[in-house]
Amino acid sequence: MAPLTLTPKERVMRTFRREPIDTMAFFSGMGMVVMPAIQKLGYRFPLVHKDAEKMAWSAIESSRMFGFDSVVIPFDMTMESEAIGNTISLYENSEDILYPTIPQKMWSTMDQVNIPGNIMELGRLPLIPKAIGIIKKEAPELPIGVWQLGPFTQAGQVLELDILLKGVFKEKAKVEATLDKLTELCITIGQALQAAGADYITLREMGTGSDLLSPRTWKDVIQPRMRKILASWKSPKVLHICGATDLIIEMMADCGADAISVDIKNNLVETRKKLGNRVPIFGNFDVFALPCKEETTVEQAVAAIKKNIDGGVDAVWPGCDLWPDIKEANMRAIVQTAREYGSKPSACVGRL
Amino acid sequence: MATKEEILEQLKDGVINYKEDQVKEAAQGSLDAGFVPLEMIMDGLAAGMEVVGQLYERHEYFVPEVLMCADALYAGLAILRPHVPKAASGVNAQVVIGSIQGDVHDIGKNLVKMMFDVAGWDVHDLGRDVPLEKFVEEQMRTDSEVVAMSAMMTTTMLGMKKVIKMIKEKNPNVAIMLGGAPVTKDVANLFGADGYAESAGNAVAEGIRMIARLREMQKK
Repeated sequence: MAPLTLTPKERVMRTFRREPIDTMAFFSGMGMVVMPAIQKLGYRFPLVHKDAEKMAWSAIESSRMFGFDSVVIPFDMTMESEAIGNTISLYENSEDILYPTIPQKMWSTMDQVNIPGNIMELGRLPLIPKAIGIIKKEAPELPIGVWQLGPFTQAGQVLELDILLKGVFKEKAKVEATLDKLTELCITIGQALQAAGADYITLREMGTGSDLLSPRTWKDVIQPRMRKILASWKSPKVLHICGATDLIIEMMADCGADAISVDIKNNLVETRKKLGNRVPIFGNFDVFALPCKEETTVEQAVAAIKKNIDGGVDAVWPGCDLWPDIKEANMRAIVQTAREYGSKPSACVGRL
Repeated sequence: MATKEEILEQLKDGVINYKEDQVKEAAQGSLDAGFVPLEMIMDGLAAGMEVVGQLYERHEYFVPEVLMCADALYAGLAILRPHVPKAASGVNAQVVIGSIQGDVHDIGKNLVKMMFDVAGWDVHDLGRDVPLEKFVEEQMRTDSEVVAMSAMMTTTMLGMKKVIKMIKEKNPNVAIMLGGAPVTKDVANLFGADGYAESAGNAVAEGIRMIARLREMQKK
């Protein structure tokens, strides 16, 4: 393999600008913190979510230990809901790796949804700009990725999701009003994180794939809000959706994102055919089977990443949060394969 | 007065087109007319849900529609089930069901639960965010034949493996069903589970297949 000539930050930012790079980047817009790094730092998993120093160093160490091309913060999906006033479970006494959750939501109807004006000052949200500052100072070579849940997915963190799902048919005006409030929340926080120095941002409207919502509902209810949010954020920005995306992929590409991200349920080859080189495509690699599953050999992981690259991605990017309990050998081999096998140009990004 | 066939059609149509009021009216009408409640459940409500499963698989229906159909089904079940003698259902089975610790998603779990409710099982619903040991304790306490666990995220899925191991060590005959977005057939096999469903809608389709088989068995 030719020596790397770009820093991780240059490689990632050039990927977004579709400028030639030295070799394919390995990075993510979703959680990418791993246990070997957390353990090396002597931290416990539940505590990395509520301390800016621990959050920043867990992210930096995860990337440095395995050669990831970015850091991504935060790690859990409850910060906004907690800031609004919900109580979280941190599972501080559990020996398992459990992300914080919202066990009970304080709102039971859509009418109750009310977003505080000073949201960035509430709960743990102030930790993120603080952690961005630490990472910028301590790891200037690494680009900082942040993310926001899209309004529909966020709605599931502040209300019972079935209220929204059934409401799409039964109480559409209320659903629209609720989503509008959460769209503003998403815009506000995203802009605040960009102002704090985040280098790129991912809009994760995870719970809107076609295994949950129809493409018609997606077009009618979700897409206008994706466009509004993405138009309000600076580039680079990525749109990610989990689950079945084959039926909505063209609409995803038409929301104003600089790249789109999908998970393993997407038919990558077909997606590339549909989209050509209109937009960089990331994702589609199995975050459990390749780096974590006990039975997956290094050779199998390498073969799967080669298939992922051949399928047409412009960066090796996990299809969802990287599960923290990775097998170190597999993880290293995955990054190495991105470097070596990704030395040829991809659909949207050339090589130096 | 409506015939049995007409009432069955009203129940079925009410579930398919999520018309709760129509289902309630037809269910009450069937009781007033003295029709067999179990037949109304299986050939009316469950038959309707079977069509819903087909509509989901053909991408005509998505989860919101399925949830509304489920509401209509439950509206009828609430009226009919109390009138089904325990012995008549032909089922004397129990299931422990819940979403695993760390996971607060329960739509898929609730849809699978509905299938067991329709089939007349005793359902021990532990809810969501259920500590791993609680599944084992509840199975032991109730001696349930099936334990059904759901996880929406990869991050919580691995807890299932521990539960399966704990249960199978104590009672190898318990059937384990896994469900949730990250659960593939491969994962279910690896964890030692006996069945799986990968999404809420898929869980419905799987559950419907179970009920369809049950209906066929009852007809024999």
